[in-house]
Amino acid sequence: MKHSLLFLIAICCAVVSAAQPSAPSPDSTFHLKDVVVTGTRTPKLLKDAPIQTRLITMKDIEKADATNVEDLLQQEMPGVEFSFAMNQKKHMNLCGFGGQGILFLMDGERLAGETMDDVDFTRLNMANVERIEIVKGAASALYGSNAGGGVINIITKEQTAPWTLNLNGRLARHNERRFGASYGVKGKWLQNRLDIHHSSTDNFNVSNAAEPATQVISTIFGDCTWNVKDRLTYSPTDNLRFIARAGYFYRQITRTADTPERYRDFSAGLRGLWDISKRDQLELSYSFDQYDKSDYHKISRLDVRDYSNVQNIVRGIYNHHFRSGSILTLGTDFMHDYLMNKNLGKTAESQDVLDAFVQHDWLIDKHWEMVGAARYDYFSDSKDAHFTPKLSVRYQPTNNLNLRLGYGMGFRSPALKEKYYNFDMEGIWIIKGNPDLKAELSHNLHASADYTKGNYNFTVAAYYNHVNNKLATGIPHYLPGDDKQLYLDYVNLSDYTVWGGEATALARWAGGFSARISYAFTNEQLPKDGNGRTINNQYIPARKHSLTARIDWEKQFTKHYGLLITLNGRFLSKVRNVEFIDYYDISKGTNTVHYPAYTLWKLSTIHRLGKAVKVTAALDNLLNYKPKYHYFNSPLTDGINLMVGLSVDIDKSK
Amino acid sequence: MFDELYDTPTESIDIRDGQLYVDASSWLDWYYIDFNTANRNAAEGGTSSAFVKQAIPTEMLDGQGSGPAMETPEETGIYTYWYDVFGAGLSHHEFRSFTPTAEQPEPSSWHIAVHRNNVRTNNGAAHETTYTSMSDLPESSKAFQDKTFTPDAWNQLDVWTIQAQMLQGLIGNQGIKVNPVLSSWLKVDLPPVPPLFTLNNHVFIVRFPDDTYAAIQLENYQSPAGTKCCLTINYKYPY
Repeated sequence: MKHSLLFLIAICCAVVSAAQPSAPSPDSTFHLKDVVVTGTRTPKLLKDAPIQTRLITMKDIEKADATNVEDLLQQEMPGVEFSFAMNQKKHMNLCGFGGQGILFLMDGERLAGETMDDVDFTRLNMANVERIEIVKGAASALYGSNAGGGVINIITKEQTAPWTLNLNGRLARHNERRFGASYGVKGKWLQNRLDIHHSSTDNFNVSNAAEPATQVISTIFGDCTWNVKDRLTYSPTDNLRFIARAGYFYRQITRTADTPERYRDFSAGLRGLWDISKRDQLELSYSFDQYDKSDYHKISRLDVRDYSNVQNIVRGIYNHHFRSGSILTLGTDFMHDYLMNKNLGKTAESQDVLDAFVQHDWLIDKHWEMVGAARYDYFSDSKDAHFTPKLSVRYQPTNNLNLRLGYGMGFRSPALKEKYYNFDMEGIWIIKGNPDLKAELSHNLHASADYTKGNYNFTVAAYYNHVNNKLATGIPHYLPGDDKQLYLDYVNLSDYTVWGGEATALARWAGGFSARISYAFTNEQLPKDGNGRTINNQYIPARKHSLTARIDWEKQFTKHYGLLITLNGRFLSKVRNVEFIDYYDISKGTNTVHYPAYTLWKLSTIHRLGKAVKVTAALDNLLNYKPKYHYFNSPLTDGINLMVGLSVDIDKSK
Repeated sequence: MFDELYDTPTESIDIRDGQLYVDASSWLDWYYIDFNTANRNAAEGGTSSAFVKQAIPTEMLDGQGSGPAMETPEETGIYTYWYDVFGAGLSHHEFRSFTPTAEQPEPSSWHIAVHRNNVRTNNGAAHETTYTSMSDLPESSKAFQDKTFTPDAWNQLDVWTIQAQMLQGLIGNQGIKVNPVLSSWLKVDLPPVPPLFTLNNHVFIVRFPDDTYAAIQLENYQSPAGTKCCLTINYKYPY
């Protein structure tokens, strides 16, 4: 580990000493004039956004050499970790929040479906992504339930050229194959973009040393996916735009040869954007998303669905821009949420969610900006209502320094699964829903500062979250008079806190060098049940220290050849978790399981041949790290991995 | 929506002539099959069961204690083993305790018995052929009479009976004789979790003490709803 850190420091020093200062525009260098929308649901320049927003651009995605959201977020952001929950279901931890505590959006729309609380991350491939906006901290005042820990909004590309056609492919170990095609056209009134993406990876075995401290993984399951999306935009006038979209997603994973598991998603939407005047905009939208799970019985050739989550959402948002630059936002959503699950008591449950929100983005003067928001949500199943406020202040004493301070309330209404589940987990215990659950409520305080000077940009941030009534499974127990069947109920846990901070430095020098280093500290206090007892924590907690780093060099040698070399790395500190010695006899108490630290590095090269062709060669896990034990939070690697890819822009090939 | 993409499993089981369906998914029971009864049922078009369920004794015998003291060879009871289910797999195991129990009850007449992926014979012996279709078999068992037939053998590792501590790799197994050749028709591997089931669709020839033969084949191990260890068995008896 020490050698790896020395390796990082040495490379940083070498690059800094080799680079010569230059004076490109800081705004363009650090994307400060890029528009972001997630923090306030209105377009704002990144440098003027009143809510601290982390922007991952298309260029960042290229440099990270990421093809899925898991690779990208882990590479770009410290404090993000993907691990496994039971049965190798992916779980994300973002600064102590995860699963139902982080809201994933695709072009501003929620994703239906979950497994072990998390969305299906494989739906979120990086083909056709324009940018990703991450807002940490409670955003429930704008986005409602599930946004207590933050929002990750993935925004796809607009079609700007008259026509484009890109074909791409990528190969790696374990028979990993990725193929994609994007076709776009743009006319006077109409534009259309079609994306098709296919990937597949084999299952592969990994080895573990003897006597692991807890459960380990011996087979890593690959999968096969298809992802098709189409978006049609019709602009009959300059101030009116209609966007229609449709998508289909399919994934198959084969844990048992005769019964592969299948996951499908069907999505569609229609959005109308009307600039009523220079100062008034109205947006109306309808969104449909259905996520299904089924098992395919190969012998009997039956594809049997056992889960379906369908969300129908209607939304209206109105913005009024005052002459002073302030913005008033009014919005409302209606969602019908339907869940069919063979492990529900009644097989199917549904509920309606109605909300209204208001936000005033008040530009007080050229130095001060204040944003206040409030939201009211009503849930028909529990007949429960929530009022959620939020207040943020931005102070800009000089043009290159922003200070932000804010308070936000977050909440998470119990999901239908958490209320009505009745799942016999392989005879171990019955996971049981609880109709009496209360909503989880959180209070989030955050402060940040970002400073830009010449070729350098620095950001520091700190946050504190206090969560009441956290929703989770509690302590396994027997019912009175029955000492044979264990139950694991969903419960409201006692108070829980997460606090931490983050620091990031970005630099760009002449000669095509740039670098980024980010460090995050996360202090997650493990939750206990309502009586202060240690619970069976479903997920391994966040690591206290994490660091990501990137150094790259880009040069266009001739008209026909350019090169981008990037070295990416991440370091995650060790972490410990308190786990039951015997899940069936909790009187034996708990012990502390130590999970080791690790670091992973990736070297990628992109060779540009003319305008149309890009050849990628990357070495992932450059230091050939092989975990001694593949615990649920170990990296999914069995050593160094060579990846090669080819991308051709047919429209640029002339 | 999109219901048409999916299938709805039928409640009823369609069984052809020369076929049996046994829900052997219970960890706690053996199902005893008598091919004569099965033939009689088929001839009469009857619906009566061709098998008899017998529970596996799990209660400790009076006056005896259980404990980790010894890995008692070939004594009836429950043998608890720790399996490295999340690591090296089932081949890596350690004996933990033994609980003596009553003998396994049996009906007066039976040919084979099934418990999940395990198969016993009534003092018979089995041979695995390379045939994968009952219709391709030679006309009679004479073609196999010079082959090697394997009798039942003592086993205290595979008849998983007590799953209460499975998450910790602890499984209580019945100590009993099973047929290792016949039991290979459905292989169960851990890891991964959930277990990996592999169907062996070869036809097996079983020789019984009265010198009669049966040809049997496992066609499917899942119910229409996907429950594992619901066995669809093709058979010819006498063969």
